Amino acid sequence: MLSRVADSLYWMSRYMERADGILRMLKINYASSQDDIQEFSWKPVLKIFTFLKDEEATALASNTRNVLQFMVTDKENPNSVLNIVTQARENGRSVQDHITKEMWQCLNDFYHNIRQENLIDKLQKEDPISVLDTLIKQGLLYFGTTDVTMARGEGNSFINIGKFLERAIQSADILDIKFSDLNYDLDKPTDTTYWKYLLMSISGYELYLKTYRSGLGAKNVMEQILLNETFPRSVIYSINQLHRYFERLKNEKNISGFNQIDFMIGKVKSKVKFSTPDSIINEGMHHFLIEIKTALFEVGRTLNQNYFAQS
Amino acid sequence: MQANSLLQSYLVDSNTWDEMYSDASVRQQYQKVLSFLQQLSIEELNKKEELAKRLFMSQGITFTVYSSGEGIEKIFPFDIIPRIITAGEWSFIEKGIKQRLKALNLFLKDIYSNQFIIKDGVIPAQMIYSCPHYLREMHNFQVPYDIYVHISGIDLIRDSDGSFYILEDNLRTPSGVSYMLENREITKRLFPDLLPKNNVRSVTEYPNILHKNLVSLSPKQTYNPTIVLLTPGIYNSAYFEHSTLARLMGVELVEGKDLVVDNHKVYMKTTAGLQQVDVIYRRVDDEYLDPLVFDPNSLLGVAGIMSAYRKGNVAIVNAAGNGVADDKAIYTFVPAMIRYYLNEEPILKNVPTYQLAKEEELEHVFKNIERMVIKKTNESGGYGMLMGNAATEKEIILYKKEVLKNPREFIAQPIISLSSCPCYMNGTLKPRRIDLRPYALCGPGGIEIVPGGLTRVALKEGSLIVNSSQGGGSKDTWVLAD
Repeated sequence: MLSRVADSLYWMSRYMERADGILRMLKINYASSQDDIQEFSWKPVLKIFTFLKDEEATALASNTRNVLQFMVTDKENPNSVLNIVTQARENGRSVQDHITKEMWQCLNDFYHNIRQENLIDKLQKEDPISVLDTLIKQGLLYFGTTDVTMARGEGNSFINIGKFLERAIQSADILDIKFSDLNYDLDKPTDTTYWKYLLMSISGYELYLKTYRSGLGAKNVMEQILLNETFPRSVIYSINQLHRYFERLKNEKNISGFNQIDFMIGKVKSKVKFSTPDSIINEGMHHFLIEIKTALFEVGRTLNQNYFAQS
Repeated sequence: MQANSLLQSYLVDSNTWDEMYSDASVRQQYQKVLSFLQQLSIEELNKKEELAKRLFMSQGITFTVYSSGEGIEKIFPFDIIPRIITAGEWSFIEKGIKQRLKALNLFLKDIYSNQFIIKDGVIPAQMIYSCPHYLREMHNFQVPYDIYVHISGIDLIRDSDGSFYILEDNLRTPSGVSYMLENREITKRLFPDLLPKNNVRSVTEYPNILHKNLVSLSPKQTYNPTIVLLTPGIYNSAYFEHSTLARLMGVELVEGKDLVVDNHKVYMKTTAGLQQVDVIYRRVDDEYLDPLVFDPNSLLGVAGIMSAYRKGNVAIVNAAGNGVADDKAIYTFVPAMIRYYLNEEPILKNVPTYQLAKEEELEHVFKNIERMVIKKTNESGGYGMLMGNAATEKEIILYKKEVLKNPREFIAQPIISLSSCPCYMNGTLKPRRIDLRPYALCGPGGIEIVPGGLTRVALKEGSLIVNSSQGGGSKDTWVLAD
């Protein structure tokens, strides 16, 4: 496979995963903005998904509708869903002969839908949940289509590597920023709705209720998002999948590059796998998360060097 | 609204061949389609037109226009009414194009080697060497199987008596074939069952034939050579076509930056290191192909690719240097080429062309100037041209003065009217002018032409200009079986 093609597939997939993450986050945060909870603020979302300066984020965060518009349809915001989907589609466009026609049409339809002029109006005046739901479904259609139609070859591996690397970083980010609100003090008493909405935003609330019977607590939330191997949005699940798809790239011809990245993924995987909630608290949660994120960024950088490099 | 209103305002221009009507009666090949259309209501037809637009948009069969910093997706206008060619017409066209291509290929081989055609005085040497597309780099280099024109898109038009004329030989990187394929797919969706009922021949073999030919050109005789399609990239207006063809043939779509030349061999950069490339179907023009040989500023090509080509380590399709054969001035000599190389009379006619350097032709042109179009030989795209029927007297006098200064730089042709064909316009059918571009594929086994082509249509009333940049669109082109 051409290096350029691998690069485009990987980024197409990362962008689609990111768009999905943003949309879910927006939906649930919107719901919680309508609920009466004291800690609610749009600032964590803006911190995770934009490069706004602190004062800019504070100014914007006070108006829910403006946040939604900024995050979904703003052309100037490089991290708006509009721009992210455009990036995904441009990457897909340049590798149309390596994805299925059905996938291309999903991407293309998503792109045309999110560019519709009346979307801004709807976000301002109508029920934002309906708008966000439509967009989320469009994304799910892409994920499903990819799963059903894409041949299980090298291209599929790069798509999944992009997807799970992005997801692992996203989940670590969400934890880091949500817990920074509490100064990483896991014993600080908080409104349980705070945790409920966080879990809902990553489709983890029902699993949480089944796993922990004793009500919502920060430590359990942290355990599920970091360490639960069956939770598809957890950091450990994402890294396991990343490793699984990366191993399929093993090839006689690029063995030194492969070994280097295999080692890096294995190392970060062990670090997470052999941690417990208590060991993480002892180490310092922020420190732990920074270390994981740094290792994941490094994997991305080295992939770029060994597989996508274009001299 | 009743169906017959569909034809209410169908008024054929005088002195024009209409593809559907002859003397107020509908030609046989259009009868089934027309009676089918007449059963539909205007609402249904409008819905079909809407569906066609949606299908093009959703499949990304679009080109991008960049304005104020952001890209706007446009579709190439598509008219839902098919253009129909009878079996008899097609077999005539097919024979004519095969003959012409054979001669053009022999001409290219000759002109880049022995140049017998110059020595025998059929074409003046000055005509060849003054052509900017003549490449000295191609001299004395034998291309595989002596084939230069692997893919051609020769343009045909029809005069008022219905006879076909060659308008232009496109022998370099002709485009539009994806519209031949996609327009047919759209018709299948718009009009279920209509194609089989009319016995329309299929065009789907095109990518398979092209792929077969590309495989056979590989310098390495393996069953599975590495073939790539070289595109200028996603900002090229024909990018959709490049990716469609690559997908339909299952070959790699590459950009110049994906390729590298080492020791006169071409490689592509893959995730598993370098992989040698055997055949390149390039959609990059000659002048951008190799910055070491042609335009040094080109980022679209590959440095060293011409040397790999000349060494025979890679096949390039179409061959470089074909521009000398589809040049406007050389066009005049194609009938002479056919007689010279094949000892045959040309089947398809050239539009008569007058060399104004010849005194008696100059006189004839000036006398009949209101029926002539005069063009400069070294300009294209409609610049420096005089349409005798539309120019004012003053313009004509000034233009004549220009011509007399240096008559060698001018040619003249009678204005050919182009045939008309029904188009669906706001609830009725209206005649609009069309041309035809069939795609011929030439491989070691001979020339094959898929029964079909691109019909371009001038959607503006009265317009003779079918180019997409001037308000042109396209139609599905049906060739009927016997």
